Amino acid sequence: MIVGEQKPIAEIKESIAPYSKILILGCGTCVKTCFAGGEDEVAVLASALRLAFKKDGRKIEIEEKTIERQCEDEFIQEAAVAISRNDAVLSLACGAGVQDIARRFVKTTVLPGVNTTFIGILEKQGTFTEECLGCGDCKLAIFGGICPVTRCSKKLLNGPCGGSRDGKCEVNPDIDCAWQQIIDRLKALGQLDNLRKYIPPKNWRASHAGGPRKLVREDHVI
Amino acid sequence: MMKFEPKITIFHCINSFSESMLSHFDEIDHVDIKYIKLPCSGMTKDVYLLRAFEAGADAVIVMVCPEGKCRFVEGNIRAKKRIKRIKSLLDEIELDGERLSMFNLNPKDKDAAVKIIKDTLLKLKDLGPNPAV
Repeated sequence: MIVGEQKPIAEIKESIAPYSKILILGCGTCVKTCFAGGEDEVAVLASALRLAFKKDGRKIEIEEKTIERQCEDEFIQEAAVAISRNDAVLSLACGAGVQDIARRFVKTTVLPGVNTTFIGILEKQGTFTEECLGCGDCKLAIFGGICPVTRCSKKLLNGPCGGSRDGKCEVNPDIDCAWQQIIDRLKALGQLDNLRKYIPPKNWRASHAGGPRKLVREDHVI
Repeated sequence: MMKFEPKITIFHCINSFSESMLSHFDEIDHVDIKYIKLPCSGMTKDVYLLRAFEAGADAVIVMVCPEGKCRFVEGNIRAKKRIKRIKSLLDEIELDGERLSMFNLNPKDKDAAVKIIKDTLLKLKDLGPNPAV
């Protein structure tokens, strides 16, 4: 899922200050799971902003709504009426959701309320970790399902740097050494020979270095 | 200038506190207390606390069972974490996190319950009324 965290209230307050009617639009998929932009976060943010503006003696109308996904037109349409009766939308979706709302409603100001941080997993309740950079050329089969591009601080593809200690990364001891994990897992799978293969320098053209990417599935295009 | 009659909202676990615990509190007539009963303090949702301030509370108190004595094991721990977060949110919006407090209370300790209210009233003398009302 896409992981994000809510922006500081002061930044949000400043961005919505020019408007008197705001729709706080939540997204019920990824950012809900990471407690950044689901129904509960919309309600808390709306309440906090109402209090903050009232304290300053400013009147602001805040409407709350959460749709299933802000990155699909089918769901976005459910918010169309609410969007039309407000001056601006404060979207608690990831950057993709914010941009999709902006694309569908060309005359509406759409403001981000969340900093989109990474593609990750729920490691345990309340803890999210980055697992994928979206590099566009997945090699997880070689590395036993552990991605050195994302999880090795140095993005090494041909073995460990030698700087890890007790399974921890020398860059930051809070980070597990990805190469220690890769070796342990390949040993357990009996696939340690995978590491005899030379991995050539990564082709970053498949990643964001080649500009914004697009995927077209002709079989689904009408 | 109008006299400040403090409004306090008390969210409480039914196993740690009951309204009758304040029956021998002499100044009860000079404070407007609203009680919100919860089956467990783990039901304390972030937004309820903020909405209590929106509804005019000058202070919000959450009464929970002593740690290790929650009937639902970790309800009071969950409440503690949520309250910590909302206190910092109140500071962020300059409403003052001091307006929100949580207390671990033994269900038979009437004196402690009265002291909590008295201390809150003293604190409100410094903090003054809710600035967002």
